[in-house]
Amino acid sequence: MSTRGLKPAGRAIAILVIGAFFLFPLYWLVTMSFKPQDEWSPVGGKIYWLPGKWTVGNFTQALGISTPNTQFFSAAPVDASKPIVHSLLAAGGGTLLALLVGVFAAYGIARFRAGGKLLPFQILQLRMFPPIVVIIPLLIMFTYLHLVDTYWGLILVYGAVTFPFVVWLMRSFFAEVPREISEAAIVDGCTQWGAFFKAILPQVRGGLAATALFVFILNWSDFLIALVLTADKVVTAPVFLNSLQSAGAGQEYGPQAALGLVLVLPPAIFGLLIQRYLVRGLTFGAIKR
Amino acid sequence: MDAEIQSKPRRLSWPAGLGGRSEKTVAQLLIAPGQLLMVFIVLFPAAVAIYLAFTDFQPTSGYQWFDAYKGWHWFGNYWEALKSGGVFWTGGGFWMAVFRTVIVTVLGVGVELTLGFALALLFLKTFPGRSVLTVVFLLPMMVVPAVTGFIFYMLFQTQGPVNGALTFFLHDVLHATGHIHVPWLSDPNIALFAIILADIWQWTPLMFLILLSGLVSLPEDQLNAARILGARFSDQFRYLVLPMMWPIILIAVIIRAIETFKIFDSAWLLTTGGPGDATTTISVFLYRQTIAETTRWGFGSAVAILVLIMVSLLALRAIRPIEAAQEESIGELVGADVEAESVSLEQAIEAEARL
Repeated sequence: MSTRGLKPAGRAIAILVIGAFFLFPLYWLVTMSFKPQDEWSPVGGKIYWLPGKWTVGNFTQALGISTPNTQFFSAAPVDASKPIVHSLLAAGGGTLLALLVGVFAAYGIARFRAGGKLLPFQILQLRMFPPIVVIIPLLIMFTYLHLVDTYWGLILVYGAVTFPFVVWLMRSFFAEVPREISEAAIVDGCTQWGAFFKAILPQVRGGLAATALFVFILNWSDFLIALVLTADKVVTAPVFLNSLQSAGAGQEYGPQAALGLVLVLPPAIFGLLIQRYLVRGLTFGAIKR
Repeated sequence: MDAEIQSKPRRLSWPAGLGGRSEKTVAQLLIAPGQLLMVFIVLFPAAVAIYLAFTDFQPTSGYQWFDAYKGWHWFGNYWEALKSGGVFWTGGGFWMAVFRTVIVTVLGVGVELTLGFALALLFLKTFPGRSVLTVVFLLPMMVVPAVTGFIFYMLFQTQGPVNGALTFFLHDVLHATGHIHVPWLSDPNIALFAIILADIWQWTPLMFLILLSGLVSLPEDQLNAARILGARFSDQFRYLVLPMMWPIILIAVIIRAIETFKIFDSAWLLTTGGPGDATTTISVFLYRQTIAETTRWGFGSAVAILVLIMVSLLALRAIRPIEAAQEESIGELVGADVEAESVSLEQAIEAEARL
């Protein structure tokens, strides 16, 4: 398509202006995480567009490597090392569960049209409801099953809310594998089961890895579910970030920004790795790039 | 060859039902765990919610949830939600929360679509640094939404960089006097815009990527023909690009609308629904009613069911295009109505030639 209406220079300026708008919030997060306390939000109203004195103190504090010294006269040390580990375990476990359940369902739907036309529809509909809608009944159920504030509880819910994504992504990958491959494997003496593991699954390795990373990003990003279903034994990193925000004991911008940056890194790296499948996943498999 | 196949004994494997005889059994077994998980996350919660919605149950009521009939309320909770009024724009209550959610969704997705489309058009032709810049525009949507809330919380402080930048431009460029101190997060009339802006920042990139992948797979022939026929850019856009892109635009808007309607994370970290109720969207409203401020689980369940009904009605219409698109490649999506549209373009060009 022609964009004759716009001269290259005009286009470059437009891109730069919009690009600056999209980069600035990230720029602020990154620079804030390197600023010493007196530059976070100075009383006089001076704004430090760049850190005056660069420091890694925020990171060592947020990661629990060092406790704040006199330079950081914060009320309590902001140590997010445990929440980060909790986040890793919960998101990782939830991803495994979603894959375990979703891969089989996707294969059933793609290969055998399992569940007819209704199942994919229901799975799609599942994504349309705000999760807060089911959270009270879940809280009741979890109280009875003693799953509140546990890894298992969080993993179970993460698995349940993200397995639809596994189904959509894997369904399209499975659909690309010719039916003849599994038929040939069965003719060669494999069971359906064996054909799936030995012939089909190796064909979709790349897709499976992309799906796993994508679902991990989703689970890692969760805030609401963990906020409601956990209390103090399991605290994921976003919930911890929120508790710092609402503590009211002075804003710990620096360590919070450091934690925020640490939180953003895995999804950013994974997201770039699976760039091609990102849109496919986020559009429920509707847009295939 | 045939003999060799027949001589191979069928291997027995676990579970015995998956012997490869009945595809139906296999299919059923494959989707069973998924269905179980859906029952767990949908059916049971729905049943509990329907029951509790008729009661005034609270976890502090002193009895278990299944005894909630002790506080039977009939449709009192629904009535309370449905008759709620509230000051326009900033008021509390169910309807105002719905209204604000709709505002966030319409404004947010509207701007995301416009900006995303503009960006996609800018990125259509290759230029040096294009792939690097694409990555830059990809980054915001990888940011954990809770962190987005925190970032914009910093940006929108009264003494923060947004006001700092405004002061800089207005002060030095327009020679206005004094500092700009827009109370972004503490003025109930404008706090909602902070939330909308955060949503726009985070999700325009997704719009951009979806629309860009649509634009690059537009059939070249028609566009070249139109160019050779001397169609203006605006005509090409209106009669060719827009109609062909329509299925993709529709899907992008539907998906973003669904997600924005659920907005919670960034909104909660930015303003926790305040000041007052000024940024209380539906999800925030439910969270405040059932957990953060009061523990009215009966009322919360009724509101949840009302939301469920509203979303279901919308979903009935919204799901079809997405479902249809799942079966098609992007080329098939944009190529669907080409014939008809190129005719209308030719007519447009002719009409212009006659003038």
